[in-house]
Amino acid sequence: MKKHLFFLVVSALVISNCAALALGALTAEEIIKRRDDNEHFDTAQVEAEMIIINRNRRIIKTMTTYAQGDNGLVIFSNPRDRGTKFLKRGDDLWMFFPDAEDLVKISGHMLNQGIMGSDFSYQDVMESDKLTDLYRFELIGEEEVEGRPCYVLEGIAREEKKVSYYRRKSWIDKERFVGLKEELYARSGRLLKVMYAPKVQKIEGRWYPMTVVMEDKLRKNTRTEFIVKAIEFDPQIPAGAFTLENLK
Amino acid sequence: MLFLTRLAFKNLARHKNRTLITSIIIAFAIFFYILMDSLVGGMTEMSYSTLINYEIGHLQVADRQYWAEEEKLKLENLFTVDEQMMKSIQSIPGYIGSSPELAFSARLNNGSDELPVIGKGVRLEDFQTVFALADQFVEGSFFTPGEEQAVLGKRLAELMELEVGDYLILVVKDKNETFNTIEAQISGLAHTSNPNVNQNIVYLPLDLAQQTLNVGEQVSKVVIRMEKAHTASRVAAELEKKLSAGGDARLGVYPWNELEAVSFVEAQKIENQVILAIILSIAAIAIINTVILAALERREEIGMMKAMGLRNSEVVYVFVLESTGIGVLGGIIGVLMGVGGVWLMNTYGIDFERLYGMDLASFGMPVIGKVYGVWNPFSFAKVVAFGIIVSFISSVFPAYWAADKDPVQTIYHR
Repeated sequence: MKKHLFFLVVSALVISNCAALALGALTAEEIIKRRDDNEHFDTAQVEAEMIIINRNRRIIKTMTTYAQGDNGLVIFSNPRDRGTKFLKRGDDLWMFFPDAEDLVKISGHMLNQGIMGSDFSYQDVMESDKLTDLYRFELIGEEEVEGRPCYVLEGIAREEKKVSYYRRKSWIDKERFVGLKEELYARSGRLLKVMYAPKVQKIEGRWYPMTVVMEDKLRKNTRTEFIVKAIEFDPQIPAGAFTLENLK
Repeated sequence: MLFLTRLAFKNLARHKNRTLITSIIIAFAIFFYILMDSLVGGMTEMSYSTLINYEIGHLQVADRQYWAEEEKLKLENLFTVDEQMMKSIQSIPGYIGSSPELAFSARLNNGSDELPVIGKGVRLEDFQTVFALADQFVEGSFFTPGEEQAVLGKRLAELMELEVGDYLILVVKDKNETFNTIEAQISGLAHTSNPNVNQNIVYLPLDLAQQTLNVGEQVSKVVIRMEKAHTASRVAAELEKKLSAGGDARLGVYPWNELEAVSFVEAQKIENQVILAIILSIAAIAIINTVILAALERREEIGMMKAMGLRNSEVVYVFVLESTGIGVLGGIIGVLMGVGGVWLMNTYGIDFERLYGMDLASFGMPVIGKVYGVWNPFSFAKVVAFGIIVSFISSVFPAYWAADKDPVQTIYHR
């Protein structure tokens, strides 16, 4: 009996150690890094559609996005917003309205507003620093999202770092290293936004979220779907694409 | 000369209808000016008092760098109110009260919609010594210190479909630009004569705001109320010196009459002066027109006077005196009518919203409810003098023109 008990205890210890090893095989930072390797790119051109759903209203906006390092340019092409452009240069964001031929710098409180009435705020797309620099991530478990096994990570903002969300909880696909779900919290602990990636596709050897859904949890019955129609990594971007002159 | 003067007055009495009609035209011009001036004065005075009573107090103490960008409501360049600073503030002449305030931008959320608002963290016992909000509650009352409660304007609450007892959520960004939320129960709804307070501001306990915004014990400004508003500029300079001597050199003291909101009212006042000038010009044209027509009508009479041996200058004298007499008469009637009108406006006021569905706030005047006229004796004197001078000047040229004509031609028409 004693021998049997000893065997049980040893087995339990071995199993728990193995589990820790398996979980510990990758640290939170490494998981984030592998996700970033997948999702982040230096240069890309994206054809996308944004569907803004607010109660019974459904607004569709189409756009072409060019991104290179810290810079980005979005040109809307749906009839209502045709010619409207956003230019991100480092930490600055400008918007150009073709009808008024007016250039507006988006700053301060305006950054907290939704882009073109969507659930994505300007601030959401402006955070360009590496997440691991801004947050202290911890692996807190494993869960399934839409049938896919995921690592669950929790990031708490580092002291004195300027970040919009104090805490973020991320579900990262264990095999494909792509974020499938993310919850964004205020310092008070209130859930502000939830982001899902219901469609993930392998493009040029990397898994990439092709549809991202953002829900503002402080507003009822609203969500925004961002659907990537086509994406090209490392395309040739014309010189001067990210200049204010080009915006006009 | 005396004969000519008597003749002029006799003429006035003889042509009763003409004298009366012309005078009444002048009187109406003067009456409208007096009414408008009283109304504009009333609006300006009300604008000042609604700003002082609900928003800006008499003096504001703030960091100079904060003040330069005050409208941005940044959580930078804040300061802590210490005992020595309070002593300096309390020692100003005519001190009534002071209220530390932490202002911040927030998004008011009712669970389905959001609206940008200004949040103000205030200490209730201090706030009430400076602002008159306590008397303006239409529902509920002020928040209980220590409780997570909020007070807002009735209009804002209606817009967001919120009621007393409901919970509101304020989404804010703290000192580190990190989102935070304040969940507070609405303890009261106020409706003041200040549209900004009614539509844009949410009041919270100061400690709750400080904690949520992660600013420690700091505030954006201290608002001070004094006994005499007109001494504000002088007292501000004195207090600034005192604070600087006490080691708070970065703080500035700003009197109410130098604040942007007040300069906006001043700009409105200039606009109103332009409108008054237009009224006066129209009045002047009416007077000139009447006097010229009267002169033209009386060409024959002038011819007769000249045929009887009067010199040109004597004819002009009689004529101008008559016109001026009409101006004086019009002035007296106008002033009497004006006194009646201003008395009515001063006693009963005008409710533009009820009468014409006009919301003065949408024209930028920080006034809600009835507007009361004010007495302005200087304006009475000014407009009467204007009426008389215009009557005088406008009669000189037609009189010269008529007096210059050949008497034969003016009398004999064929």
